[in-house]
Amino acid sequence: MKKIYIIFGILITALMYTSCVDDLDVKPTDPNKILAGNLGDDPAYMEQTLAKLYASFIISGQGDGDADITSSDDGFFITMRALWNLQTITTDEGINAWGDVGISDLNTQTWSAQNPFLTAVYQRLSLSVTYANDFLNVTAGSTEPNIIQYRAEARYLRAFAYYWLMDLFANPPFTTEEDGVGKYFPEQIQRADLFEFIVAELKAIEPDLGEPGFSYPQADKGSCWMLLAKTYLNAEVYTGTAQWDECKTYCDKVIASPAYSLATDYRQNFSADNDRYHGNNEMIFAFAEDGVNTQGNGGITFIIESSSDATYIRAEDYHGLTSNTNWNGNRARKDLMNILVDTIAVYGNNPVPATDTIFAQCPDGRVFLRQKRSINIPTPSASGDFGIGVYKFTAKNHDGSQADNYSPTFASTDFPVFRLADAYLMRAEALFNTTGAGAAVADINIVRERAYGDDSGNITAGELTADFILDERAREFYYEGQRRTDLVRFGQFTDGDYHWQWKGGTFNGTSTSSHLDIFPIPGDEISANPNIKQNDGY
Amino acid sequence: MELNISRLRKLLLMLVMVFSFTIIHAQEKVVTGLVTDANDGMGIPGVSVVVKGTTIGTTTDIDGNYTISVDANATIIYSFVGYRPQEILVGSQPQINVILSIETENLSEVVVIGYGTVKKEDKTGSVTSISSKDFNKGNITSPQDLLVGKSAGVVITSAGGAPGSGSTIRIRGGSSFNASNDPLIIVDGMPIESVGNNVSGSSNALSFINPNDIETFTVLKDASSTAIYGSRASNGVIIITTKKGKKGSPLKVNYSGSVSVASAIDYTDVYSGDQLRKIANDNRSLYDPLVYDKLGTENTDWQKEIFRTAVSHDHNLAFSGSKKNIPYRISLGYTDQTGILENTDMQRYTGSLNLNPTFLNDDLKVNMNAKFMMTNNNFGDDGAIGSAISMDPTQPIYDDNADSAGYYQWQNYGANLGTPNPLEQAMAVNNTSDVYRIVGNLKLNYTLPFLREMQANLNIATDYTESDGQNNRPTTSPSTLVPSAWGKLSDYTAKNKNNLLDFYLNYKKEFNEDNRLDVTAGYSWQHFERESTNYTRSIEDADHPLQVDNDTESETENYLVSFFGRMNYAFKNKYLLTGTFRYDGSSRFSEDNRWGFFPSAAFAWKMHEESFLKDVDAVSNLKLRIGWGITGQQDISDNDYPYQAQYITAQQGYYYRINGQFIPTLRPNTYDPDIKWEETTTQNIALDFGFLNNRINGSIDYYFRETKNLLNNVTIPSGSNFSNRLYTNVGSLENKGIEISLNLVAISTPDMSLNIGMNYTHNDNKLTKLLLTDDPEYIGVTEGGGMTGVRQITRVGDAAHSFFVNSQVYDANGNPIEGLYDDLAGNGGVISGDNANKYIYHNPTAEDIFGLSARFNYKQFDFSTSLRANIGNYVLNQVAAGASYDQMQQIGYWKNMPTYLSETNFVKRQFTSDYFIQNASFLKMDNLSAGYTFEKFAGKDINARVSFTVQNVFTITNYDGLDPEVEGGVDDNFYPRPRTFTMGVNLTF
Repeated sequence: MKKIYIIFGILITALMYTSCVDDLDVKPTDPNKILAGNLGDDPAYMEQTLAKLYASFIISGQGDGDADITSSDDGFFITMRALWNLQTITTDEGINAWGDVGISDLNTQTWSAQNPFLTAVYQRLSLSVTYANDFLNVTAGSTEPNIIQYRAEARYLRAFAYYWLMDLFANPPFTTEEDGVGKYFPEQIQRADLFEFIVAELKAIEPDLGEPGFSYPQADKGSCWMLLAKTYLNAEVYTGTAQWDECKTYCDKVIASPAYSLATDYRQNFSADNDRYHGNNEMIFAFAEDGVNTQGNGGITFIIESSSDATYIRAEDYHGLTSNTNWNGNRARKDLMNILVDTIAVYGNNPVPATDTIFAQCPDGRVFLRQKRSINIPTPSASGDFGIGVYKFTAKNHDGSQADNYSPTFASTDFPVFRLADAYLMRAEALFNTTGAGAAVADINIVRERAYGDDSGNITAGELTADFILDERAREFYYEGQRRTDLVRFGQFTDGDYHWQWKGGTFNGTSTSSHLDIFPIPGDEISANPNIKQNDGY
Repeated sequence: MELNISRLRKLLLMLVMVFSFTIIHAQEKVVTGLVTDANDGMGIPGVSVVVKGTTIGTTTDIDGNYTISVDANATIIYSFVGYRPQEILVGSQPQINVILSIETENLSEVVVIGYGTVKKEDKTGSVTSISSKDFNKGNITSPQDLLVGKSAGVVITSAGGAPGSGSTIRIRGGSSFNASNDPLIIVDGMPIESVGNNVSGSSNALSFINPNDIETFTVLKDASSTAIYGSRASNGVIIITTKKGKKGSPLKVNYSGSVSVASAIDYTDVYSGDQLRKIANDNRSLYDPLVYDKLGTENTDWQKEIFRTAVSHDHNLAFSGSKKNIPYRISLGYTDQTGILENTDMQRYTGSLNLNPTFLNDDLKVNMNAKFMMTNNNFGDDGAIGSAISMDPTQPIYDDNADSAGYYQWQNYGANLGTPNPLEQAMAVNNTSDVYRIVGNLKLNYTLPFLREMQANLNIATDYTESDGQNNRPTTSPSTLVPSAWGKLSDYTAKNKNNLLDFYLNYKKEFNEDNRLDVTAGYSWQHFERESTNYTRSIEDADHPLQVDNDTESETENYLVSFFGRMNYAFKNKYLLTGTFRYDGSSRFSEDNRWGFFPSAAFAWKMHEESFLKDVDAVSNLKLRIGWGITGQQDISDNDYPYQAQYITAQQGYYYRINGQFIPTLRPNTYDPDIKWEETTTQNIALDFGFLNNRINGSIDYYFRETKNLLNNVTIPSGSNFSNRLYTNVGSLENKGIEISLNLVAISTPDMSLNIGMNYTHNDNKLTKLLLTDDPEYIGVTEGGGMTGVRQITRVGDAAHSFFVNSQVYDANGNPIEGLYDDLAGNGGVISGDNANKYIYHNPTAEDIFGLSARFNYKQFDFSTSLRANIGNYVLNQVAAGASYDQMQQIGYWKNMPTYLSETNFVKRQFTSDYFIQNASFLKMDNLSAGYTFEKFAGKDINARVSFTVQNVFTITNYDGLDPEVEGGVDDNFYPRPRTFTMGVNLTF
């Protein structure tokens, strides 16, 4: 009998030891996993969470294979890369050779609501909004000065995401920190209402943001002014009412700030040393990239490699990248060459000779183009060996030396969002539309003098037309993801009289329907959220 | 009826006479007699009358009479299929009349079920038991392979032919879409970690069990048998029982060993060097003229270079018996398996110990099991298989370039994206792991002295796995981390721990002849812990900085706490009623959703016990079973905290600059606070039958299973959560099917027997809901990469993972016209790749599955075979779909293509054409085995058997690719399953 007692003793002890229904309350044991409730444990967590808001625009996620959104390719569908595609290869600036689903539709303005690039940009921008909302909830009520500044930055990035949603999709879903996280159907906001929200937000956060250039690449007052100026610049598109004076007001603030000055060498803005840490005071707001710390195929690395090829523009030679190179997809259409290269002045109104493949005779210092196999592109998805190669962005420093934090695979060049030159050209456009060409020409010439190195490229007020402003913006900002917005504002993106090669799917280009000025709400969203109505025409 | 029986007996006798070869030896004494049936007193023809310990014997004639010459000291054994055998000492009797009674032993056999056992005749659920004599034969290193094709409703598909590779097991089609579809596997009472949570570095979750140690597999299929496992039971349960020692038996030593030779059955047809040169020269308009000087002069057959004939061997030693009344079994196993791909192999060492003593006059039964396994895996690089198809055959294998260790590599000729040299790719990698695993449990069963009907059971078990591996490449290898990085170093470790405690009481009482009750109630606690580390970086030296410095660690755990019970009630031994429940708590869900109740009920009617059938001798068993139950699925993702918001730290390279410093970012991960388990309701109706003393037996099951709260990764409204997709309970799906199994004892004589087992499975899978909203425009869950486009889809109304492709247009000669597809949507424009123009064209799952196994014994010879047929499964032949002329030249290098290209002549790749979706129905002979048994080997008391087995004997199919059996349905150069020839020997003494 003694044995029985021993056995029962073991039984009962074992049961008591383990019979814990409380075991079901588990918290992650992994030090890399932090629950929402733990965020207050370490002040560093707040900086890291803020860092995510920025990073969500320029890299895929938290590591290889751990992207923020689910898509068929992590690298393809990073916000700035997909956004660059929507802004560039839909225009005269670019055309992409790859056969991936959705690309050829962008080349010829024949996209549908199922286009994966549209879907990714829409979802990722909305996600950046949600991250910001969460950050604002997590930090709600804090009186710490640095947290107040971080909150202003979070609201800036939310406004920035909403700006692009407004520009591309017009009427996105609208959430703020009031809305929770879970399964629910956000309401749709109308474009003009969103415009008001963005403007009000930016004005509200202005005092809390850091002074211009205080801690690049974080958003500061200068970034805020630029986004306000940009929003007002396009006010007529978004609301039906132009607001040129407001645009000028914020451009004035930027230009007046001692923190900003044009880089002596235009190319520095597109080189590995284009950040303020390397003395480039032209940079106002950019998404940082770094060969060691902030890698990815989403930003400048993508622009460089997709525009490089094994024959004409070898990334090894032009950009100092030696690994995973020469994707041979993007190149410009000949129409961009015609804008950038003043063929009347340089070639006497003759076709550019095949002997000058690198446009060596061109005095404008902004021409980083190269003729490839032929100037014309035989089919919209023809090999990247056709067309006009672009090597404006580089992974080298602007003097040709190797970048700090060099990586053979990833560029350290930051993705420029707002440069001082844009403040000049926006102000010129605002003045042109209010006071007239006479007031505008000075700002135009400031930008052109830097490009030509002297005043040889300066124009007179008589030469300044609306078309010239649009072209000047192409010359200054090509491949910087601005073109579609500019073309829409000037009425040329779809049904205007400007027909670039393969626009609408024909070799000589055709006019397209004006509903394409706004992209469709992705089909995924229409399926998932009954509150969202599709844009007109789709 | 009587007449029929006797006719049948005569028929059987004739069969027996045709096949029997009886030799009558001169003996000292002649014995005659009559063998009659206890039931009706009629003589039984064909009864085997054999002298014990010899092969001397005869059979009874048509009236049941026999004559045999024997020694007076001999013992005669009388046996006949379906009757209980009898042994009689001859002595002085000149005439021995014997009465045989019907044996129902195979029905009174005990079957292991959840937390207990049940007599086969009393089971109410769909339970199949497969014992060692029915296992597949040959060079089998994985327990799953023993079971392939043996049971209706159980589909086992091996991942490929790599040494020690795992398999997917699907019971009744899988109840889930996104969550695990793996059955719960229980080894000697220990539910092991699910297959999906297997440690890295181990390719097979079951490899810790030496197949030679397995006694039986019991497969629980319907909810009435599985629901006692509650939230882990939706995909069925497999209970593995290992061999044990027997009380009072002397020491028995068993050695079994085998040597096998494996080789590839076929290679993918690709162009030779000469053919590629001709294609290049015939299609100059397609290619860059500058790359022509890169064409070589060789005719290298790369596939031949990377595959080999592989010799493997396997040794097992087992000791069993009983020492001081403690029955024991100890076994040791060693397996050395070599793969047919160069640089792939596996060595495995296993050990097991089983003790099952009893104490206190058998009131306390103890069962102790310990299993140990150590495996050294060499995974090599099966990417070389694809490279061998793509690598330019005009190039040599070696070019003595020191930068690439003497191998020809494109990287040395200006093409840094070039196909890696397949042989170097296979050989230069060090992709190995060491895995250790210990599984042990202690089971106590105690009969209460004051309440003899009550037994208390305690089971304490532990399962510990540790693995340690690396995947390294030298600096001379181009197949590195990122192209042209300086080599690659990758180390990983993983640890899984799993502890269990079960306690339950069992009360069994036979109140009277008409009322039997068997009640079980208990409690179970289980804790799973998983840890892993992974460190990947480039090789660093004075000239080369460290690159891709990824160091990740993870640690996670979950608990399950459960209460369960079962009641079996039998009335008049005709009507059986079973009810079970499980109340499961899982740490994976929030407090509001944590507990789930999973009930089941079943009823069985033993019709053969009814008066109207009781006297019908032809019917030995006829039972109707009806069952219903709800089971759950809590193994819903690899995230053990899916209901909590978690912030994830970024890896190096994914930092951002804040306050001047690059810091790791912290991201909130998407989560559903209301996530909970999937629930599957199963209804089952079945008929078990046995005729002619169960010489013909089997069952027919019809089932209908509906899963609710199905988890789907759905696109969620933008702005509502931390990603574009949320894994949440939104959908439902259905599986319905029929299973038939049939076993025949076609021949049964002392000298000869033939057993045939057949099974048939038909399963229809259909999604019935997938979204939060009811959006008729919703396309479904699509699968397919950025390059190939969408080619598979799961949508409401169709089977999961159906192919979703463009409809190919053909020319007058029946050849596909490149890029021309039916404009199904009628929108014009580009049709290729446009989802609006795609349609559902079949799916990868077989509609009908047949299994056939046969065992034939003649005297000391034995033969067995297993065949399997899958009908209606389709495969996307990705090897062919990736072939086009324009891809034969890449940036600065040439690339080979499979010769399918000469059939399509496609200039550009056509990934989404239905042309490449092919009917992959097949008939396979999985194995064919012959053996010979020596009863007194070398005159000693040694029982020896030698055998010869061929595995993967033949495949009959119309499918164009190498092997129609493709897990997942996309054939993309997986490790080919070899044909294996095995010589085996088995000694028992």
